[in-house]
Amino acid sequence: MSTIPRVSSAVPGELPHFGTVLAHQPAIAASFTRLYGAFWGSDVLSARLKEVARMRNARVTECGFCRNVRFDKALGQGLGEDVVDDIDWGYETSDRLTDAEKAVLKFTDAFIHDPELLDGDAEAALKRHLSPEQIAELGLGLTLFLALAKALITMGLEPEVMDRTVLPTPATSEQLQ
Amino acid sequence: MNGPVAEALATSPDLRERFEAFRNAANEALGEELTAQVRHAVAQVHGIKTPAPAGTAPPAALAYARRIPFQHTAITDEEAAAVVAELGEEGFVAFSVVAALADAECRAEKVGLASLAAG
Repeated sequence: MSTIPRVSSAVPGELPHFGTVLAHQPAIAASFTRLYGAFWGSDVLSARLKEVARMRNARVTECGFCRNVRFDKALGQGLGEDVVDDIDWGYETSDRLTDAEKAVLKFTDAFIHDPELLDGDAEAALKRHLSPEQIAELGLGLTLFLALAKALITMGLEPEVMDRTVLPTPATSEQLQ
Repeated sequence: MNGPVAEALATSPDLRERFEAFRNAANEALGEELTAQVRHAVAQVHGIKTPAPAGTAPPAALAYARRIPFQHTAITDEEAAAVVAELGEEGFVAFSVVAALADAECRAEKVGLASLAAG
């Protein structure tokens, strides 16, 4: 996995990172920002459950950037580092993760790793804890987390070193006003 | 073009419209013909049968796209440079987004997302 950017920055004077590289395609960047803000701004599925899935995706896809970013909305909903530490192999036995979070993690693994993991029990658990609308939102989130991580990695935008960084949760321009 | 993610978002029209706008922006940036070939190449890796689209995509780009589903961390700088040489930097950015999104949508189909979200 390369940490040497494979694309230059499209923003003069700034180093290549996801934002400055995506700026080569302004329409893609604008539509992604508009979508990602609305996704995080929706409370149909809690930010905490979204962040649990995002953290799992970061670990499975080996996205170091994703793994070191935390969104503040999920922190405000109690997703501390002790819980995040349990989003690893063997999460099923964690006593810090809730049953709903474990159901989300199992679905996440099925989505991003192996669809066979979504057996009858896993599907029943998912449907017990999440409404159809919440499952749809989780599916959208996983689609974006996975695509973002793979695009970032394959464009060589993984940082060599990165501290844990808490960022404001993405929002739409309407939400920021 | 619908697909399992857009279909799953049937009861969330705002998110669905925004998702489709994002996907359309990526597809339009790469071009209809190459987008169809990239999506077909990725679907084949997942064992999803789709009609073979017409077109003559650069071989390096299609070979690269086929590595996105299960080998994304193993793609080398040389492989990436070959695609950048064929598509240019702007094209490579669009290509990266389209290929990664195609992979994610195939995975959504494999888990039956649309059916799960229908209740």
